[in-house]
Amino acid sequence: MSNAFFVVWRESLEAFLIAGILYAWLQANDASGKGRRALFGGLAAGAGLALLLGWALLTVQDELTGEALEIFQTATLFVAAGLITQMVLWMRKHGRQMKARLHAELSTAAERSGYLGVAVVAALAVAREGAETVIFLYGLAQGGEMQALAFGALAGFAGAGLTAWLAARSLARLNIGLLLRLSSILLLVLASALLISGIDRLIGAGWLPALLDPVWDTSLLIDDTTKGGKLIADFFGYRARPALSSLLVWAAYWGIVLIAWRKTRHG
Amino acid sequence: MKHALHSVVFTIFLASTATVGSAGPAIADDIPTFRLLMKDGRILPETLEVPAQTRFRLEVKNEGPGAAEFESLELKKELVLAPGVTRTTVFAPMKPGTYKFFDDFHPETGQGRFVVK
Repeated sequence: MSNAFFVVWRESLEAFLIAGILYAWLQANDASGKGRRALFGGLAAGAGLALLLGWALLTVQDELTGEALEIFQTATLFVAAGLITQMVLWMRKHGRQMKARLHAELSTAAERSGYLGVAVVAALAVAREGAETVIFLYGLAQGGEMQALAFGALAGFAGAGLTAWLAARSLARLNIGLLLRLSSILLLVLASALLISGIDRLIGAGWLPALLDPVWDTSLLIDDTTKGGKLIADFFGYRARPALSSLLVWAAYWGIVLIAWRKTRHG
Repeated sequence: MKHALHSVVFTIFLASTATVGSAGPAIADDIPTFRLLMKDGRILPETLEVPAQTRFRLEVKNEGPGAAEFESLELKKELVLAPGVTRTTVFAPMKPGTYKFFDDFHPETGQGRFVVK
């Protein structure tokens, strides 16, 4: 039962965290409530998509469909990483403009696409890990472990929700500048972890050369096959034995983000 | 941003459809197949010996009860399996050594390794 709790908590934490951070940010920056509606719409759409994807994963048996699903999942990793990054930069610009009381001048088109971005990011966050949660819970139901199912699902979701709520609450207490900076960093770290997962999948499928694999081995320090190590891997993109191409992509990502970050400050 | 979204959704669609048609080298039939059984939070056998520098196919079957997720960060593979489901994946040639894998849904009991010789 404690395992059911842990798996559900871990699988849903990312989605809750993204939702919580976005909510805290929207509450501070968007008085109209449109952003929050977009967020909840996105979450609902994501839940639907998760069920659909979970169902697809349940029914795949042959290699071809399995591969198509894998491609789809890999693509969603990159899309999610890209959109989150783009949104962080958008939030930075948007937040600055509001601070400078330029709200009225912000074109409605830009605003609308920003909210669309919020909705899509939320939907992808829920759909990605949600599909695995669906499979996991389905497995418990199949095995007749209804108690573990009920407990794992309820406590796991509640635990993840609580974790995210605490994060969002603590963020919301901060002044607006710090809120923006901290939530941006959190989202960017998550995005980089998604990017590394995506790159790993490409290497694993043989579509991208690893170049040198592994570059180093820190599994004695933090072993990423353990419960805690895997958590760090999921949320920070940590790898005990990273491939050179993963490292290069990771470095390039942060390089580009830093440049874009500076640009929005001056621009 | 809106434009970027459109192109991104389109790209996913393209990628998903295009690659199904040309799944290519991954489903070559002349490569050795190894089998793993996931059962009740455990992986059987826990040690799987595979040849070095050889592309091979791994067939993972989840006998349940419960779902399983075969995963190896080291080998960069992840397969989610509902109970009763069998999925296969192809591994690129490996250097000799030991490579760990685990059941991400049962990290405490489901641990195993490839011994590549």
